[in-house]
Amino acid sequence: MPDRHAIEALILDAVRLLAEDFELNALKSPTTHSPLYGEGGALDSMALVNLIADVEDALTEKFGVSVTLADEKAMSARHSPYRSVAALVDAVIERMPS
Amino acid sequence: MKTIVITGTRKGIGQALAQHYLGEGWRVAGCSRGEASIKHVNYRHFELDVSDENAVVAMARTLHSDYGQVEALLNNAGIASMNHALLTPASTVNRILQTNVLGTFLFCREMAKLMRRTKTGRIVNFTTVAHPLNLEGEAIYAASKAAVESLTRILARELAELRITVNAIGPTPIETDLIRGVPQAKMDALIARQAIQRLGEVRDVINAVDFYLREESNFITGQVLYLGGVC
Repeated sequence: MPDRHAIEALILDAVRLLAEDFELNALKSPTTHSPLYGEGGALDSMALVNLIADVEDALTEKFGVSVTLADEKAMSARHSPYRSVAALVDAVIERMPS
Repeated sequence: MKTIVITGTRKGIGQALAQHYLGEGWRVAGCSRGEASIKHVNYRHFELDVSDENAVVAMARTLHSDYGQVEALLNNAGIASMNHALLTPASTVNRILQTNVLGTFLFCREMAKLMRRTKTGRIVNFTTVAHPLNLEGEAIYAASKAAVESLTRILARELAELRITVNAIGPTPIETDLIRGVPQAKMDALIARQAIQRLGEVRDVINAVDFYLREESNFITGQVLYLGGVC
């Protein structure tokens, strides 16, 4: 099972690729603290949809795990799991199959 | 080779659509609750219930890892139940909504993810003339397809940015299992309400689907096309 560092690297890669596709200058060199969606975030809803799908695909491809990020827990969370890279890493770890 | 996903390929219209697109050189990924009825080198069958979220996600992940992307989806799987509303059990209502609405939604959601990078994705949903004709005895079936039409129009907007078109086709009655058991007098009365008064044929459906799938149809989305002149 991948550790936090590996998941973080995977998500940063996905954000970087998305930033190139969507020409998002603010996210071309993302860090774990980069805001993604919501306050201060550079992603609009369509870019977020793409990022979530990219991360789910990458998790399957690289680690052979099937994780669904857009679940009811994510929809009802007080703090969006999509607000920053670090929050997204937490969301992936929480949803990793045990 | 382009990949088309067709739900409900074990029999009827779905089976005919699968055979048609195999003949046209597509790779077809089909599914049904039972075993495959099609044997073809470019046909791959998934035995699943279209309303089973985990199974649909697993199918999408398999398609992604084996083929990379999907170019088209035909949400053909559907069930009907003719009955007076006062005699319709809740379990039947649930079953119809699960297959027709939830199943259509899950396949749209998962396959749209696999169409994102093609920039030419095509989704065709299946509705029915029972909805615009407000057919007695088809309250739940027609209501489920009304939901599919609404889903089609809204997804057309949500997926436009990904250049995926989402349209629907509403066949008239066709000689398939779905209408077996419907009394002849009822069928005659229904056909009398069509502008062109005959039973539909599978080739009528294939023709409309072909139209939606054409590359030149990239400016057509959110539309519902009823056959037989029903409006």
